[in-house]
Amino acid sequence: MALLEAKDLHVGYRTFEGYLHVLNGVKIEVDEGERVGLVGETGCGKTTTVKTILRVLPMPPAQVQGGEILYRGEDVLRMSTHAVRDLRRREITAIFQDPLQALNPMFTVGTQLRDILKDSKAGRDGGRLTKRDIEKRCIVALQETGMPDPERIMTNYPSQLSGGMRQRVCIAEALSREARLLLADEPTTNLDVTIQDQILRKLDELVDEKGTSVLMITHSMGVVRDLTQRLYVMYAGSMVETARTKELLACPRHPYTQGLMKSVPRLTGEGISEGIPGRIPNYLEPPSGCRFHPRCEHVMPVCKEAIPPFYAVDEDHFAACYLYRS
Amino acid sequence: MRQERKADFLASLAQRRRTLAKGWYKYSRNPLSVLGLVVLVLIGLAAALAPHITPYPAQAGAYTDFQNAGKPPSFEHFFGTDRIGRDVFTRVVFGYRFSLLLGIVVLGLGVAPGVVLGLIAGYHRGTWVEAVIMRTTDVFLAVPPLVLALAITAMLTPNLLNEMFAIALLWWPWYCRLVFAVSSSLRSQFFVREAELSGASEAHILFREMLPNCLAPILTKMTLDMGIVILLGASLSFIGLGAQPPTPCLGTMVADGAKRLPGEWWGTIFPALAIVIVILAFNLVGDGLRDVFAVEEV
Amino acid sequence: MLSPSRVLEGAVKDTMLKYIGLRLVQSVFVLFGLSILIFFIARVVPGDPARAMMGYLATQDQLQAVRVEMHLDKSFPVQYYYWLRGLLHGDLGRSAYTKRPVVTDLVQYIPATLELILFATLISVVLGQAMGILAGYFRNSWFDGVSRLVSYLGIATPSFVIAILLMFFFSQVLHLAPSVGRIPIMMTAPPTVTGFMVLDSLLAGQFSTALVALTHLVLPAFSLAVIHIAQEGRITRSSIAENLGKDYITMHRVHGIRTSRIVFKYLLRPSIIPTVTVMGLDFAFLMSNAFLVELVFMWPGFARYALTTMLNKDLNAMVAVVLVIGLTFAVVNLLVDILITFLDPTVRIQRRGG
Repeated sequence: MALLEAKDLHVGYRTFEGYLHVLNGVKIEVDEGERVGLVGETGCGKTTTVKTILRVLPMPPAQVQGGEILYRGEDVLRMSTHAVRDLRRREITAIFQDPLQALNPMFTVGTQLRDILKDSKAGRDGGRLTKRDIEKRCIVALQETGMPDPERIMTNYPSQLSGGMRQRVCIAEALSREARLLLADEPTTNLDVTIQDQILRKLDELVDEKGTSVLMITHSMGVVRDLTQRLYVMYAGSMVETARTKELLACPRHPYTQGLMKSVPRLTGEGISEGIPGRIPNYLEPPSGCRFHPRCEHVMPVCKEAIPPFYAVDEDHFAACYLYRS
Repeated sequence: MRQERKADFLASLAQRRRTLAKGWYKYSRNPLSVLGLVVLVLIGLAAALAPHITPYPAQAGAYTDFQNAGKPPSFEHFFGTDRIGRDVFTRVVFGYRFSLLLGIVVLGLGVAPGVVLGLIAGYHRGTWVEAVIMRTTDVFLAVPPLVLALAITAMLTPNLLNEMFAIALLWWPWYCRLVFAVSSSLRSQFFVREAELSGASEAHILFREMLPNCLAPILTKMTLDMGIVILLGASLSFIGLGAQPPTPCLGTMVADGAKRLPGEWWGTIFPALAIVIVILAFNLVGDGLRDVFAVEEV
Repeated sequence: MLSPSRVLEGAVKDTMLKYIGLRLVQSVFVLFGLSILIFFIARVVPGDPARAMMGYLATQDQLQAVRVEMHLDKSFPVQYYYWLRGLLHGDLGRSAYTKRPVVTDLVQYIPATLELILFATLISVVLGQAMGILAGYFRNSWFDGVSRLVSYLGIATPSFVIAILLMFFFSQVLHLAPSVGRIPIMMTAPPTVTGFMVLDSLLAGQFSTALVALTHLVLPAFSLAVIHIAQEGRITRSSIAENLGKDYITMHRVHGIRTSRIVFKYLLRPSIIPTVTVMGLDFAFLMSNAFLVELVFMWPGFARYALTTMLNKDLNAMVAVVLVIGLTFAVVNLLVDILITFLDPTVRIQRRGG
């Protein structure tokens, strides 16, 4: 059984302009100990997916229209608030995109870290931690992320730290309670390029050490190549392709993925990237059938009628495209 | 040449109309603001046409009819009659005249000097001119306006004119501070620098370049302030320092009627409600304008 | 050895003191300006102040005596100089209305108003914050709708109208509360220690008097509090709603921090800062509304004394009264500022840097 499995997830937002049908049949599987990547353009519904899994999507305006999210076989969407909180305390954790927004500016790093551990049930046999253990684990968590002088950092307010330091604090917060699954939503996008690499390497090292499963959301191909074993490609709220990372990068099958790969600038000197003509559709009146069809050069009549299911194109490689129907 | 100018003029007119339409769209999204506007228009009309629409215009001022004194609300007297037999409804409508007049006169007299001083202080940011103007402003804002207004009106003879004068005298510092906040941040902006370099006069920079950018918060604050000034006026006349009897003044009517509580409640409750409604309406309209202009704080 | 955090705290305290010092100096200048302004208003009046003070029956000799005592025969700057010299010696002159030293009057009347205002502040903070937090947390619920309605009405209703309405319903119709004064005339007041009737009664062990004093306090204090419940509740509501949408609150939830801790610690702290910021200005309104509410409830306090002296053109008392209000306002603003610095670490860090 997969550790996390999202099936046919439909999520939308009720807004003043009308109903935005954002997630349109999202499926994801993450196995125990596995590192899975999720790539797609900005606005394709990656963050909505993460927030739905964490059950922190503001409802209203958001609405879950259908589907299920199974964590160890239990449906997160139908759990009681109490059970969800226990899940967050013990099993699932997350890092968000913007470290400047993710820490409360009114409290010191230490206060926030301590409170997480205080409520975490990370003690022996799922009990509470003692005060001394909390202190110790705070320091260790900060140290693990490669921060010098964790005692001083604990007394600092977020505004006294640089972006990179704050993201390290976020990582420390996320990993301090030994959760089993980490949802990392573009953890380095808002950081300096030079720091991105450091942070990713540290994160890689830490999840390796702790055996944490990871769902890494990003729009950077470089990040997924280095950090993930399997990959999902998402377009306008649907999964279009999945395979082992190496395989998918080497040999993309879905027309969208192929376009995406071409738009990645390469250092081999083949000239400027081509990109895909057109832009992400608006969710108010999304295209029927396969949402990519208005931009697709292989478009067929059937594409406009129904959402294509995953077709096996190779061993452990699936593409949601009618080109592979046979 | 003429043709061109005409075309320009028409284009600017169309532009202005578009801006207005967009503003109205934003404003009308909030039904409460629309309600406030409707109420204000009704009150304004009623006040302007008071002698023609009230049932007993003769009873607004000096008039006594002891036979009809203290009558409860009825079909002849919607709001009943007061202790000397005057129709309360008529007096309330006439009372609105004085309230609105007070608001208009006070803001008319008080806003202009405040805005000019604020612009000057903002333009001369960091010099002794700013220091003198803004520290003087601080002194005027060091006590609540009602207290200073009381002190001034108490020293003078209490009447409507002095009341207006006293409140107007206290109102400029608020606009001075508001305009200073906006204009001092405009000071370093490109278009002001440019005007300066091109040799524009100070008056031109203050009123043609900087003032238009301050209008949105000024207008919003004026609307909200109408409510506050009316409240202040009502408070002063409640104490007895405003317009003197028999002038129909809402605050005086509340105070007068309160002596007859709890029996003749209508003499107090209706004028009090009238005050609440007009202030509420100004607040609702002000909130709507705040949305339209996206003014953060006034 | 000093730990780094100790050093940090020391630096914070140092800059705080410097900042407070600066603000105090500023306040002194503002009050100085205010004294000139009010002195000018009080002395440059049409008519003869001495005559206004003594009434129409006074003889020429009596008037002359008053003029000499108040230095009215001298030029305006000289008058001001004498007044200022008196002020530095703690002498604010004699009240023409009560015929007593103004300072004595102030000492007698200020506690009653202070008691009223503090109680009103307490009510408005408790009710306003409770309403704001609930409305913000359950935004767009029926409670939010009702609280919005209450706020609009609360802001638009003058305090004297509220005072009259409360008196009308609770004491005249329902007979639930007494209507005027601090305690009934027949009751003996407790010995004055703090000047707060409720507190003094408790100190003297007169529990029934304390209770009666409290019932007298409720209506006027509530009349004063309504507008602030409305205003501060609304501000807290919108900042709670705004902060709820912030990433860091989502993050606290993701990390499994318990809801009560999130709401009352992580959400409340950033959300009350805008409310605290306006509390200084709100206090000014509380002060001026006290003039009206004390009049309605015949509360023997400072504001009613101030009003009476103004209506009687009692120059010395009037100048003193305005200055006391200015001073209180300045102190309250300073306190609010310190409180903000205490609440908001970003302000603290900024001030240290700057």
